[in-house]
Amino acid sequence: MADKTNTTQAETKDAPILIQMGIFAGVLFVSSLISPLFPPTFPVPTPVIGLVLLYLLLMFHIIKVEWVDKFATFMIGMIAFLFVPSGIQLTASLDIMKAQGVQLIVAIIISTVVLLVVIAYTTSFFIWIRKTVFHGDISVSETVDKK
Amino acid sequence: MSATQTTIITYLGTPIFGICLSLLVFLFGQWLFKIGKGFFLFQPLFVGMVLGIFILWLMAKMFGVDVTWFYTNAYKPGGDIIFWFLNPATIAFAVPLYKRNDIVKRFWLEILLSLIIGLFISLFIIYGVSKLIGLDNNGIASMLPQAATTAIAMPISGAIGGTPAITAMACILNAVLIYALATWLIKLFHLTEPIGQGLGLGTAGHTVGSAKAIQLSSVSGAMAAIAVVIISIVVDIVVPTFANFMGIVK
Repeated sequence: MADKTNTTQAETKDAPILIQMGIFAGVLFVSSLISPLFPPTFPVPTPVIGLVLLYLLLMFHIIKVEWVDKFATFMIGMIAFLFVPSGIQLTASLDIMKAQGVQLIVAIIISTVVLLVVIAYTTSFFIWIRKTVFHGDISVSETVDKK
Repeated sequence: MSATQTTIITYLGTPIFGICLSLLVFLFGQWLFKIGKGFFLFQPLFVGMVLGIFILWLMAKMFGVDVTWFYTNAYKPGGDIIFWFLNPATIAFAVPLYKRNDIVKRFWLEILLSLIIGLFISLFIIYGVSKLIGLDNNGIASMLPQAATTAIAMPISGAIGGTPAITAMACILNAVLIYALATWLIKLFHLTEPIGQGLGLGTAGHTVGSAKAIQLSSVSGAMAAIAVVIISIVVDIVVPTFANFMGIVK
């Protein structure tokens, strides 16, 4: 009985962290081979291909979610820090800011808000259409429903 | 190359300086955010960015060298190492996306339509606002591709007559702004519906916006992750056409 519990636990257990990192490295490597195949006029960068690739691998059950879950959660939690060098990269753009700086920054701030609000409202509009025109189910729960 | 420059490269040219500086400013930001009781301008990423730029500028002035030169030779070797880890961090979003595959399956049409039509509306508004502020065609062209991730936005910006460096700056500021202001903007505009909220955060704030969305709800996080991918592809196709149509490209 005790052995049986142990095996079931082992089945749902997270993969060791090095294996999780290995899967990420493998996916990134394959993506970096695919990325140059796209023409320069239609660039698709490595991480975007990697995201789609890992998603497909999960969807077709080639890799289990427990094999990558822990490392993925860790990486996502780190993103704000990982973005610090990108922010500091703006040091190299100080010259551009001198020329049209204030106008550019105002335009960027407004654009950011516009993108967030317009996309969110457009989505609400389409979901409203599903509800009122097609009488569809629009309930979204925090837990996964197995419908 | 002057003697000072050689000394700087010898002592600060190794990656560890950039890594230490990044850690230092970010940890200071986290501490400030904690004692500032979560005041939005004290977001660690925003504080880290401003303080990091200020320290590099100050050090460059102290050594009497060009700021951009100092950034490239002293900070960038270490900064690039941290920056590289954004690659695995981006593909990590496949996991929260897969976990809410139920939402993707049910709402894929709404997701696709909202991103395409929402981007078109946004482009018109961004074009109008940029024109109103007084940006020239070069500035406007640099503003249009910013919904895509930096690696896609920069070449498109160059192709439609913009300056890729300005577009990169826009993409970076998008992320920093969304991370700092998301909670406040969501309240201000009542963006409570999780699917739209997620798509908006992913489009406006890229991967950093998605990290914010995951904190709000699993649905929001999954939607932000899918927005990052789809909006990039849509920008790839739509923005060059839009720029031609508006006569920005000469």
